[in-house]
Amino acid sequence: MRHPAQRRSQLSSFIRPALGATLALSLSLGAQAQKVETISIGVAVAQTSNTALLGQEQVIGAKFAEKFLNGRGGINGTPFKLVFQDTGGDEAGAINAFQNLITKDRVLGIVGPTLSQQAFASDPIAERARVPVLGPSNTAKGIPQIGNFIARVSAPVSVVAPNAVRQALKLDPKIKEVAVLYAQNDAFSTSETGTFQQTAKDQGLTVATVQKFQTTDTDFTTQVTAVLNAKVDLVIISGLAADGGNLVKQLRQLGYKGLIIGGNGLNTSNMFPVCQKLCDGVIIAQAYSPAQPSAANQVFVKEYTAQYKKAPPQFAAQAYAGVQVMVEALKVIDRKKKLNTWDLDDLRAELNKQILLGKYNTPLGPIAFDKEGEVIQKEFYVAQIRMKDAKTGSFVYLK
Amino acid sequence: MELSQFIQNLMNGLAIGSVYAIFALGYTLVFSILGIINFAHGAVFTLGAYFTYTLVVGQFENNGLLKGVNLFPDGSPFSGQPLTFALATLLGATLAGLVAVLIERLAFRPMRSRGADPLLALVSSLGVALVIVNLIQLLVGAEIYNFPSDAYGDTPPALSFTLGGKIVIIRTVQVIIFAVSLVMLVILGYVIGRTKIGKALRAVAESPTTASLLGISVDRFILITFFLSGFLGGLAGTLVGTAFGVAGPYFGVVYGLKGLAVIVLGGLGSIPGAVAGGLVIGLAEAFVPPEFSAYKDAVAFALLFVILLVRPQGLLGRAAIQKV
Repeated sequence: MRHPAQRRSQLSSFIRPALGATLALSLSLGAQAQKVETISIGVAVAQTSNTALLGQEQVIGAKFAEKFLNGRGGINGTPFKLVFQDTGGDEAGAINAFQNLITKDRVLGIVGPTLSQQAFASDPIAERARVPVLGPSNTAKGIPQIGNFIARVSAPVSVVAPNAVRQALKLDPKIKEVAVLYAQNDAFSTSETGTFQQTAKDQGLTVATVQKFQTTDTDFTTQVTAVLNAKVDLVIISGLAADGGNLVKQLRQLGYKGLIIGGNGLNTSNMFPVCQKLCDGVIIAQAYSPAQPSAANQVFVKEYTAQYKKAPPQFAAQAYAGVQVMVEALKVIDRKKKLNTWDLDDLRAELNKQILLGKYNTPLGPIAFDKEGEVIQKEFYVAQIRMKDAKTGSFVYLK
Repeated sequence: MELSQFIQNLMNGLAIGSVYAIFALGYTLVFSILGIINFAHGAVFTLGAYFTYTLVVGQFENNGLLKGVNLFPDGSPFSGQPLTFALATLLGATLAGLVAVLIERLAFRPMRSRGADPLLALVSSLGVALVIVNLIQLLVGAEIYNFPSDAYGDTPPALSFTLGGKIVIIRTVQVIIFAVSLVMLVILGYVIGRTKIGKALRAVAESPTTASLLGISVDRFILITFFLSGFLGGLAGTLVGTAFGVAGPYFGVVYGLKGLAVIVLGGLGSIPGAVAGGLVIGLAEAFVPPEFSAYKDAVAFALLFVILLVRPQGLLGRAAIQKV
């Protein structure tokens, strides 16, 4: 029998050259620039998990953009392709999706992920790979600052949310006492409630009670009775569609009659089936409104409504805008030098540069980006939910 | 604590605690017969709610593969007339019971017949749960489904009064949940304690080999146990779903965990223990002060931890006797 040292030596004599050859091969492959084969854009959003409530709207928005923009000539006559990866609702899912899109699908850029929390985990991967990312719904503070290749089309909550409080005061100037409720297990809701509470104080309102809940909660009797006993004139909710909708429903069922403001998590028609007729009157600040009058939006609304029998929600519009920005930036690059003649890495870098340089007429209105990748959006909206019946409703734009 | 707050918390706790109790009874029935935890019970809870919803509404919408499929199409005997809520609930729970039977055949019996380690059956049931949750997502989408407002969810409060300047509200849905759960507990108690089926079930739980020698078909009674377990889980899902909405395919996950806590707290395998555990956890959650209500899950599990330190066999469980 051979001595273990002999075996190790024999093994190493085999492994060393093999490792060397592999390393040399990988270095030569690495050095060899990859050519652009297909014009594909990655879409990494939550198609499964609880976050799918939002992600599915984004899938619809992105698919609609693919069909609509390709129908209008794609990228200077060449159709582009969207490659979808499901991020699920957690950070690991987003990281996997990004890695697949970057290395396997070799996309030019990525629209995604759905949640800010996921973006903080997955965007650094794209940054290291120098792949441009456009966050369609990452409204938390610090997203564009993740890196040079990270931008977003979703206006931060700190800009959007205060409009709702101002509008509520316009509707009812007698409002004095406010109850604030938020999902304490959701990073976005926790951050949003800070903005709401500060705005309420800035507007001279008294925050009479602050109630916390979990996004997984279904029974809100405790919180609702506390709100009723605080005798407030306004309730502000930061949560997601399921819990937020349920909270609205139970507030109304138990007799709260004042105004209700919902945060960005409630800014989806997925809330309608939850609180049904009781959703009526809820005020939501939005970064998008189907009523936005630009030609770009009106075409989008018309086509979207014809196809899906409902007005586009914000998450769909932002995903559409994300794809549109990538496509328009690619069009500009293509005019200078045909896309299929670029090296992949160079084109990704050029795309990132062009995204930040351009100005875009999207369904969100005219947008551009600052040098960090933060969206520059001028128009924001406040809508009030109007339910036609138990199932169908709409966000009615308040001037 | 003010009296008004005490009464409010008590009613809230009894309502949610009674749902925990009937849900946990499903867990405990299977545990008492097979000595294992059926992790797919939370998924059956979810299915119960979806089944009842389908029978009440007739069709799904949104993004799943079943979008727009009408259960009661024109020309069918029930055309345009979905089932009444009570009948749909009964059928929904029955269908959930049948799914539980299927789970037994697919995930548990093959393991049992090979004499596999009970841990494998546990993992197998966990797998089934994940498959069910994903199937639901594929078929009916991730969206929230809410029962129509003419189901009992939107009715005015059963009782509303002011005590010491504070409002106390007892929701109709809370009363219904409590009443239905109470009826189910009485029926189950009767079936297990007073009927031949119950005696046979208890015999199988005590010793499957002896029961088999006495002419009891063990496999058949295991199936009955799973049916009852699924029926109770599905009913609990429907009760919660109609009260608060069916919050997507993962609806049952939290209840699955709570159910586990309930049966451990009450005493593994103990039917009165499951009831007591459900009520204790429901009340513990309800009495968490409103400003800390987001932490009520942590409070419930902390209570479980403390009780297990003091009484490892649970509230009504029997301490294991070790022969030496």
